Amino acid sequence: MNLRRYVVLRLLQLVPVTLVVIIINFLLVHLAPGDVSIILAGDTADPAYLAAIRERYGLDRPFLEQLWRYLVQVGSGDLGLSFRSREPVFAEIMSRVPATLLLVGTSLGLSVIIGTVIGTWIARRPGSTTDSVVSALAVGLFSVPVFWLGLMLVLFFAVQLQLFPAMGMSSVDGPREGPGRILDILHHMVLPVLALMTVSVGQYVRLARSAVAEVMGESYITTVRAIGFSDRTIMMHYALRNALLPVVTVLGLQLGLVLTGAVLTETVFSWPGLGRLIYDAILARDTPVIMGAFIAMSVTVAFASLVTDLVYAFLDPRVAL
Amino acid sequence: MAFSATRLTRFCLAALALAVVAASPPRAEAQQPATLVVPQLGEPKTLSPNFASDSLGFAPTSNVYSHLVAIDWGVNKGTGAYGDLAESWSTSDDGKAVTFKLHKTAKWHDGKPVTSHDVKFTFDTVIARKYPAFVVLKNVREITTPDDNTVVLHLIEPEVGFVPMLAQVSTWTGKIYPKHLWEGQDGFDKGPLVNAPVGSGPFRFVRWERGGLVELEANKDYFRGPPKIDRLVFRQVTDVNVARAEFDSGRLQFLNYEYAPPLAEVAALRRDPKVKVVFTPSHFSRDIQLNLTRKPLDKLEVRQAIAHAIDREAMNRLAFSGFWKPAVHASVESQGELINRDARFPAFDRARAEALLDAAGLPRGAGGWRFDISVTNPNFPDCKAMMEVLVQQLRQVGINAKLEQFDQATWFRRQAEKNFDISCYFTRYGPDPDAFREHFMTGGGRNNMSYSNAELDQLATRAATLRDKAERTKIYHQIQSLIVRDLPYINLFDEQKTTIIRTGWSGFNTEPEAFDKAITWFGYYTVTPPGR
Repeated sequence: MNLRRYVVLRLLQLVPVTLVVIIINFLLVHLAPGDVSIILAGDTADPAYLAAIRERYGLDRPFLEQLWRYLVQVGSGDLGLSFRSREPVFAEIMSRVPATLLLVGTSLGLSVIIGTVIGTWIARRPGSTTDSVVSALAVGLFSVPVFWLGLMLVLFFAVQLQLFPAMGMSSVDGPREGPGRILDILHHMVLPVLALMTVSVGQYVRLARSAVAEVMGESYITTVRAIGFSDRTIMMHYALRNALLPVVTVLGLQLGLVLTGAVLTETVFSWPGLGRLIYDAILARDTPVIMGAFIAMSVTVAFASLVTDLVYAFLDPRVAL
Repeated sequence: MAFSATRLTRFCLAALALAVVAASPPRAEAQQPATLVVPQLGEPKTLSPNFASDSLGFAPTSNVYSHLVAIDWGVNKGTGAYGDLAESWSTSDDGKAVTFKLHKTAKWHDGKPVTSHDVKFTFDTVIARKYPAFVVLKNVREITTPDDNTVVLHLIEPEVGFVPMLAQVSTWTGKIYPKHLWEGQDGFDKGPLVNAPVGSGPFRFVRWERGGLVELEANKDYFRGPPKIDRLVFRQVTDVNVARAEFDSGRLQFLNYEYAPPLAEVAALRRDPKVKVVFTPSHFSRDIQLNLTRKPLDKLEVRQAIAHAIDREAMNRLAFSGFWKPAVHASVESQGELINRDARFPAFDRARAEALLDAAGLPRGAGGWRFDISVTNPNFPDCKAMMEVLVQQLRQVGINAKLEQFDQATWFRRQAEKNFDISCYFTRYGPDPDAFREHFMTGGGRNNMSYSNAELDQLATRAATLRDKAERTKIYHQIQSLIVRDLPYINLFDEQKTTIIRTGWSGFNTEPEAFDKAITWFGYYTVTPPGR
């Protein structure tokens, strides 16, 4: 099968997946008690206003009709307006995506690189003191609740040392553009990225360590070693390529969650990301935003798994697409 | 070696260097303009307050828009309403027309004058669309504008509490919109001004950074004179602990009651010369509603037993470190002479509670339990703290109570559907005592208990139109006697807000010096930074 055909087929699979996601989530939101009319109208609302909101938002129609209307609307490429802010859902979601990508992407990238490097490094001598200490540490970090770690980082770096800010993505008084703006954002990123990274780096250390250790015990490594290649060449050209497969798998899974995987971190650091938008939307029963976000998530997951498979094929010639 | 220790060290050093570079903060904090950063727990839903009840939008919009009449924490010393755009008002002899004279110098942020036509346009739209402020404006038959600075609200029925109730609802919704900019829009949730408001208040809208902050700047042309702070920023700080840490480190100057520190820490905070702790009572209570349609709460003896089982002092100690004020009357202290001090809820008496339950045919059965009951609360910290103690106190007299907590939307829905046994509630007694109708009259909007007493209905309806103060007070005393006799609800505490303020800053809305001047409960007009 040629590559282009494969990619197109995989992308086409997205349609039924998204359809199922929409139907299930529409049903779930529908089943949750309370609706947006109570949130908007308040507890002393006039019944006529409640009815007016439900009518304006189409909530007074039968469930199947609401679902059908929504599907037709999404089919025409329109995610609708937020029940709360009355702004286009697509714009609302896109306004939050960069912040989340920046936070989660950076910490994911850093933890994969750092985790793999450390894991590979300790895998050279499995069972050594360094290996035991680092492995134990990795498991420890992996088990730390991220919101707790976030608060500790805030206490130490933001309150005691006053080195890094703990709130939001930029300073109230900071520059709005140019290199000053970039520095300001970098400055705000340090603590949340550190919190997220510290927790996920342990996972990659463990993965890389066991994978590399296993590969290093394979007979083909013994063979290349007997041929007389240097340690460096063996690691880079022969061992790592195979050892990286599990790392790629896990990275692929986490990439799928890149948009929503950091709600707790976003909450601790008041980060203006997508996770919090979804959380708020769920509490307010803002169906268009919830649905839009779920669609974005399923698309991301599908893309991530596609990319994972492509990388897999590249790393492992045995995998044919 | 590919991954030698030296390489790793070098990598770490490089990373550290990067971090340090990033750490050198771009501090361009000029001392000149005074900025107040007010933390908020989340994002406003919208910046158009007239179509939605939006607790996180109240603060930004109350400072951008003006109101016909306003009310703030001055309600504690008896202020029912004071004029915002209205300079003065008078009620006709038959009580059916209220005439407001408007300030002549008030201007919209685009420079156009604020006129009676803006008021009429706003209220007409609210009434036509039954927006949330309709809860008060539903008594308005017609609005006339004899001249640019006079607006007359013609009422369907005389209503003594009309202006105070209008002031109260205006702090949330029912703010005055500019007719020349909104005319032609399909309702207050459409068009370019929904999230870019143009008002006539003390601050102008600058920007809304989604997920981050809403920034306002001082309106130098404000008709009462410019505010003393230059910028007002409502910043989202979604974690209570982080907000507290930022306050402790001096980067936030003010934490409102949403971020109230645990009351157990108040004693220590009070010893800190850099911090002011402000307690502000309100005209709400914290109480429990009893669902009279549920068995066995339909029996008076059972409700009396529950009232006897409650130890407010212990609850105060456990839930509020003893800093709240227990309430034993069907009112709160801020209501002054409107309180009927002879009408008291049954006092704490566990033996009496047990005896009443035995007499009601509910003896202790298997495991010592008499019956099961659920206690619910919305996720307000004070309600949660109180209900946790209440459950234990009920269990001590053999009532197998269990706690159920819900998110706000679910809880409101369940209350409205009367799907609860006992629930934490926040009964309101002001700014006009007509509030009793909403809570206790048959079919009242907040009468979730399904309480129905023909005598009370009749008294409350009459009191709403009475202009003789002494006679009115007498009727409200009678109403309170009926309530403590029938026990559809049990009052527990006067509600109290805790705010902490950095020394040097003053004039926050919960401080007495700002009463009747702050422009709404959420106003920051009166805030003064250090050295001004």
